[in-house]
Amino acid sequence: MLIQFILVLIIAVIIWRQAVRLKNKELTVKQFAGWLVIWLAGLIIVIWPNSTAWLAGIVGVGRGSDLVIYLSVIFIIYFLFRILLRIEKIEKNLTKLTREDAIKTYDSSAK
Amino acid sequence: MKAVIIIPAYNEEKVIGQVIGGILQQQALAAAVLVIDDGSTDNTFAAAKQTGVIVLRHKINRGQGAAIKTGIDFAISHGYEAAVFFDADGQMEAREIELFLNQLAAGYSVVLGSRNLGQAIDMPGLKKIVKRAALIFTNFTSGLKLTDTHNGFQAWTIEALKKIRLNQDRMAYASQVINEVARLRLKYIEVPVTIKYTDYSKQKGQSIWNSFTILWDLIIK
Repeated sequence: MLIQFILVLIIAVIIWRQAVRLKNKELTVKQFAGWLVIWLAGLIIVIWPNSTAWLAGIVGVGRGSDLVIYLSVIFIIYFLFRILLRIEKIEKNLTKLTREDAIKTYDSSAK
Repeated sequence: MKAVIIIPAYNEEKVIGQVIGGILQQQALAAAVLVIDDGSTDNTFAAAKQTGVIVLRHKINRGQGAAIKTGIDFAISHGYEAAVFFDADGQMEAREIELFLNQLAAGYSVVLGSRNLGQAIDMPGLKKIVKRAALIFTNFTSGLKLTDTHNGFQAWTIEALKKIRLNQDRMAYASQVINEVARLRLKYIEVPVTIKYTDYSKQKGQSIWNSFTILWDLIIK
């Protein structure tokens, strides 16, 4: 099917991009491996859609594609949450730096 | 008592000079003035500096709560004994600062301005309703019985400021300070103040939408 071809192409490009980032040391080997597992799983699902039906049957979800959607949503929400926390931390650190800098700059110019 | 008046300012070049001038005119007031320019994109820094008072600058905008906290840190590290929080937008009356310092001298740790004990001039109607709701919320969460909330006109002893924990960078800090008064059982008193809503301050000040941002900050963070 055409959709399978398109999805495989997209995933291949994503994996290739990440390999480049690994080579440029923007990703650690561990991070790269983690993402690789996820994208390879996606690849398997795209190429053999029926593989999810088997897993769906085990956990009691009607259709394989439904299970994929459920898991994807959980995954996305989890990552959004992680990102929100990370942003919060960055914001706090930025504030801390800015505040310390304001006082330091004044004190050094007042001397 | 060696006091400092802390004025957080964000893009207030038009009025900051006038506001500082108003304070400096209060001859009886033996207090230093400290402006924290919170990363303004206009000439607030230069305008404040021109008046000869102490001016600190946040290189990037971090919010009113963060600016107040910088002021507090400065007051603590530079040996002040008391701090007054004052707005840069011209809503507050400089001659009322003395009332706050008098109450600190009388032994209170925290003095909170109340526009409901005093008066609010030209306060927009919708704002009144939102403030009323915010007051109920604050009194409920803090357990205090205040007559006004989110009133930035306050005075604190340094001892009290050393004890409080503030981690809200934006406007939610105003709720947080009240909760800290309750948590630490600080000796507080409200004094009547006049808050004057000018066209300028209405345009610059808190929009109603910000109430939701504050609520979000308080609940989520």
